[in-house]
Order: sequence, then C-alpha cells, then structure tokens
Amino acid sequence: MVLNWNIEVILDLIFSSVLLITTIISYTSPKTKNITSLFFLRLSFVFVGLFMFFDGVSILFLNKLISRISGLLLFPLAIFVIIGINYTIKENFYSIGLILVFGLGILLVYLGLQPGAVGISKDIGYPRTDWRGLFNIMGMLFSAIGSFYLLYWGARTFLNAPFLIKKDASLLFLGVMIASLFGMLFYLLYIFETFFILLSNFSMIIGLLIFTIAIIREPKLLYIFPFTVYRIVVKDREGHPLFDHDWSESNISETIFTGFLNAVQLMSEEVMHIGGLLDINLEEGILILKESERITVGLVASKSSKLLRDSVVSFTTDFEQKFDRELKTSIEDMPAYESAYELIEKHFSNFPYKILKSKKQPLLLTGKFIKIPQELDNKLRSVFTDEKEYEAVKAELIKSPLSIPSEFLKSYNEMQEELRQISGEDVKYLDTESNLDE
Amino acid sequence: MKTQIISGPIGVDHPSVKRVLGIAEEIMRKNKILNIENLYNLAKKRLKIPRNGLLSIIQFLINKKILIEGSKFSKETVLSNYIRNGIYNYIRIHPGVHFSILRKKALPEEKGSSGQLVWHLEMLLKFNYIKKIKVGNYTVFLPFDIDEKVGKILFILRDRINYKVIQLLFKEKTVVKPEIYKEIEEKREDVYYRINNLIDQDIIILSASSDKDICINPNIKNLFTDILKTSNLNIERK
Repeated sequence: MVLNWNIEVILDLIFSSVLLITTIISYTSPKTKNITSLFFLRLSFVFVGLFMFFDGVSILFLNKLISRISGLLLFPLAIFVIIGINYTIKENFYSIGLILVFGLGILLVYLGLQPGAVGISKDIGYPRTDWRGLFNIMGMLFSAIGSFYLLYWGARTFLNAPFLIKKDASLLFLGVMIASLFGMLFYLLYIFETFFILLSNFSMIIGLLIFTIAIIREPKLLYIFPFTVYRIVVKDREGHPLFDHDWSESNISETIFTGFLNAVQLMSEEVMHIGGLLDINLEEGILILKESERITVGLVASKSSKLLRDSVVSFTTDFEQKFDRELKTSIEDMPAYESAYELIEKHFSNFPYKILKSKKQPLLLTGKFIKIPQELDNKLRSVFTDEKEYEAVKAELIKSPLSIPSEFLKSYNEMQEELRQISGEDVKYLDTESNLDE
Repeated sequence: MKTQIISGPIGVDHPSVKRVLGIAEEIMRKNKILNIENLYNLAKKRLKIPRNGLLSIIQFLINKKILIEGSKFSKETVLSNYIRNGIYNYIRIHPGVHFSILRKKALPEEKGSSGQLVWHLEMLLKFNYIKKIKVGNYTVFLPFDIDEKVGKILFILRDRINYKVIQLLFKEKTVVKPEIYKEIEEKREDVYYRINNLIDQDIIILSASSDKDICINPNIKNLFTDILKTSNLNIERK
C-alpha cells in the first residue's frame, strides 16, 4: 500500500504531537494540575490534537472512515471548550449554549454517518479526503462555535484581568486571537482555496501553544470570573487578630466583618462544632468561616465555592501546624504570624489580586517606613512625644509641600513663645476661661 | 506569581523587600510621583529581580499596608484628615479664634497635642483654607476669605469683657471711662486694661468733649454694626 505523504499530513502529525505533548506538560505542571476548568480545556485540546491526528491519517491512507471520525471529533471538542469556558466564568458546567451545541452535535453525528459525507479530491496538487455537503457545513459550524467561545472568553479575560496579570492576559488573548480568529479566517478562505487549510491548522496550533504557555505562566487567568476573593482574617479563640490578607477592596465594612467573626466565635459551640465550616451569606458576598481548635479563619468572597472552602480548610490546618508554638504560647503579636503570607501563596495562589488597579496608581509609604533626615527627625520627636502622633505626622510629611517641615517648626516655636508670653501677663487680654465660645 | 522566585520567605526583613522600600523612599524624597510603574521600572533596573518576583514584593508591601494608595496633598485632599477637617470647621464657625481656644475646643478629646494642632493649622494655612493675623501678642486664625480688619474685631469681641464694653458703648454712644467697670460689673483693673488695649487698637477713642469720655471709633462703627448683626459669625451667644 502506497502512503499518501504530503505537506498537510506531515503538518497535521507534527501539530497533533506538539499539542498532545503540550497538554501533557500542562497536566504535569504543579501550578495547573488540579484546576477543574483547565481539565476541561485540556480535554478539548486533546480533541484538537486527535482531530488533527485523524485528519492527517485519513489523508495519509486516503481513508474516508477515518476522515468521518475526525469530523465527529469536533463534537466532543466543542462540548469541552464550552464546559471549560463555562467553568472559568461561573464555576458551573451548564449554559444554554451547551445544550444547543449538544443538539447540533447529534445532527453532526447523523450527517457524518450519511453516505457521501466524505470524498476524495485533488484540489491542491495531491489527493486528500474532504468533507462534503451538510457534513462539511456542520463541521465548519462546530469549528466556528469552538473558536467563538474561545475568542469571547479570551477577550473578556483580557478586559477584566487585574493589572498584575494584564501582561499574561495579553499573551493569552494573543494566543486566542491567533487560534480562533486567524484559524477561522483561514478556514473560511479554505472554501475558495484548499491551501488555506494548512494556514488554518498552523494558526490553530500556534495560538493554542501560546494559550497554554500563558495559562502555565499565570493560572490566575482562569480565576478572574467565577468569584472575587476579598480578604482573609485569622483570629485566635479569644478574638485577637493574628493575620490578615487582602486580595481586593471589599464593600463589606470592617465592623460587619469583625462583628460576624466575634459573634460566631462566641456562639460557635451551638452554631458549629470545632473543625466545622460555615458559610454566612452577606448582602455583598459570603463569609466562609472555619473554626479549629485554636483559631478561627474567616474568608470573604463574592460567592461561595467548593474550591474556596477547600482552600480555607487546608490553609487553617497548615496555619495551625506552622504556628503551633506561637499558638500554644498564646502569642498575640501580628508580626509573629507575618510568614503566613507563604501559606496564602500556597493555598490561594490561583486567585488574582485586584488591589492594584493600574500601573499609574499613586502610592505612598506609610510613616513607619519613611526615613527622614536625622536632624528633622530629632526635632519632630521632641515635638511629638506620642509615637502614634509622630507616625501620623511623618506619614503626612511625605505628602506635604517641601516647605512644610521648616514652616511647621517655626510656627511651633512661635506659638510656644506666644503662650509663654501670654501666661506671663498680669491681666489676661483674652479671658479664655470665660471666652464667648464657651 | 510565586514568592519562590525570590530566595527565602518574603517579609519586611527580606533584603530584596528592604531594597525595594529604599527605592520607594528615594522616589518620594526626590519629590517624584511614586506609582507602581516608577517603582517597578527603577527597582527592575537596579535590583535585576525577575518581573514576577518584583511584583510579588510590591504586592506584599501593599498588602501589608506599607505602601498605601494615595498621592501628595492637594487643596481637595488636605481636608481628608478628620482632625484637620474638624479644626477647619471650628475656625469657620468661630472666626478670629486663638490657638489656646483651638487647643481646648477643636481637637478631639485626648487626641492631640499642641504640636499636632500647629501641624494641622500649618497645612490649612499652606493650602489657603485659613489665614492668621497678629492682634497684639495674640495670633488668631480666620477662614481665608475673611478680611483681616474684620478678623481683628472678631477676635476682640470673643473676649467677654471686651464684648460687654462694646455693647455698652453701642447702647450709650459715649461713656465715662471710670464708670464702665461698674456698669458691666467687672473688676476695675480688668476693664481698664481692655479699654487701653481697645484704644491702642483704634477700636475706641477718647471723646472730643472730654478726655474721660470714650466712644467707638466712628470710622469702624458701621463695620462693628455689621459684625454684631451677623449671627453666623457665632459670637453672640451671651
């Protein structure tokens, strides 16, 4: 049997191998291994790879059955793209689009099994299998559905990506654009010129490669939509705050948040047993509480999620283990628990930070960390003996016009002198004790 | 974004964190705008830390509230400090108030020293919310749009005995100087001291008919009338 080797077969086999290898790599990457949405997207990539493999093999052997199978593979491919994207957007499989595509998929299968659905042509100088009639149209429609979903999600992700991961979101969007937009454009041109199928496949593979790299680099891209994580607080059983961490600004007031934590701590015996997990629905989101033997952990997010609850549970366990000595000796100083930041990176590493809004966002150093000239510092310390007052003024100093420190010290000395002078006068001109303002 | 990009656990004492803090401080000291872009670019150039590691540090500093959102003071933002806002409101309602009164009345209870009051007053002066004038030995504070002459009178009227003397002179037109303390039922020396001061300030003058009679300086009488009628200056409580 003579094999029908040609450029399309070679490219199809190379592309499918690359795609399958990339998918395996993304599966072994620890950062992305257990992400549910990526599991479905990865499955869709597997089907893209299989589709290309079967397409190549069908041309290699000029086998119509294998060509039909390659066309039918578009059905699970589109289904997994939709499920994966639904999951990244709302942490749920279902959508009307999924049901519609499922219905259309049955039609695709039916059309694919009809006689004459696949033929052999010689349009670009070598014989190749190609789909015919309604099966061809349905095949194109399924490719378009997958591409459209990918493009829609890529664009939304890019537009909503927080500043810190915008660069990775741009890379992801570039990949999506190449895979879906260019892939589809060349696929449409294939109607007129068969050669464009090579470019379409090439665009798809390059785009999906870039897409995979972006996701491996920054898995947070998959968690922009399903929920927003606002903050986490750890308190000991007496209610002393030990650690807090913010991801985003929340509308939930500090008073409500700590009030809930304290209230739940007080009635924890009735409401939840030690080791229990509780979801409290707030108007602005949800408070997930985990009560353990020594600590209470509260996490505020826009909505509840199994993933978040699991993360809170594992964070709580690790926190207790890591700070076992501190908790046993009832250390209440927050700085002692500062290294819990590592646990945040471990258990919540996939949730994007949204505090930084743009690279132009103006920042200031808080007073405690500002170094000012020693001479000025000494003078300020002699004026502000209270440490809190001193820190507050120091924090303002950095935001103030340059001349303020010298003018302040001058005014302060003048005012002291004035008060000394007034207190030395025999008759008080300003009878402050009975001033009209009294 | 992984902290493992930087060696060792991230924390305030981490050398890279300290270096980034130093750069942030340098930017502010040079009076340049501190934002993520400037901090990132300068730190990247100097420290050669990978992008993700550097962003991790910046994120950490923001999370630990070492770097906070905000910019240099402007006329609009300078009143965002509630203590300063309170002081400004007090001066607005009580124009011509002296420092010692502000110290007692305008600062929240047990929440401020003289130093803090001077600091806030200086900021309000700098951003033209208030102005200060000297009346004798006294520095008094006024809202920026109040005329200095009016401010001086307002300050004088804040003194209970001055206020009584002026009220009497308005009522009687001309009063014999030695009789005033009896009329207003105050100590003689206190009243004499104030009358002399009011003469020094050209608020009252000796009458042309007798050097024992005094009256309000006719040049500023209308101004006085206006001020005394203006209830929102908040000086007519007694």
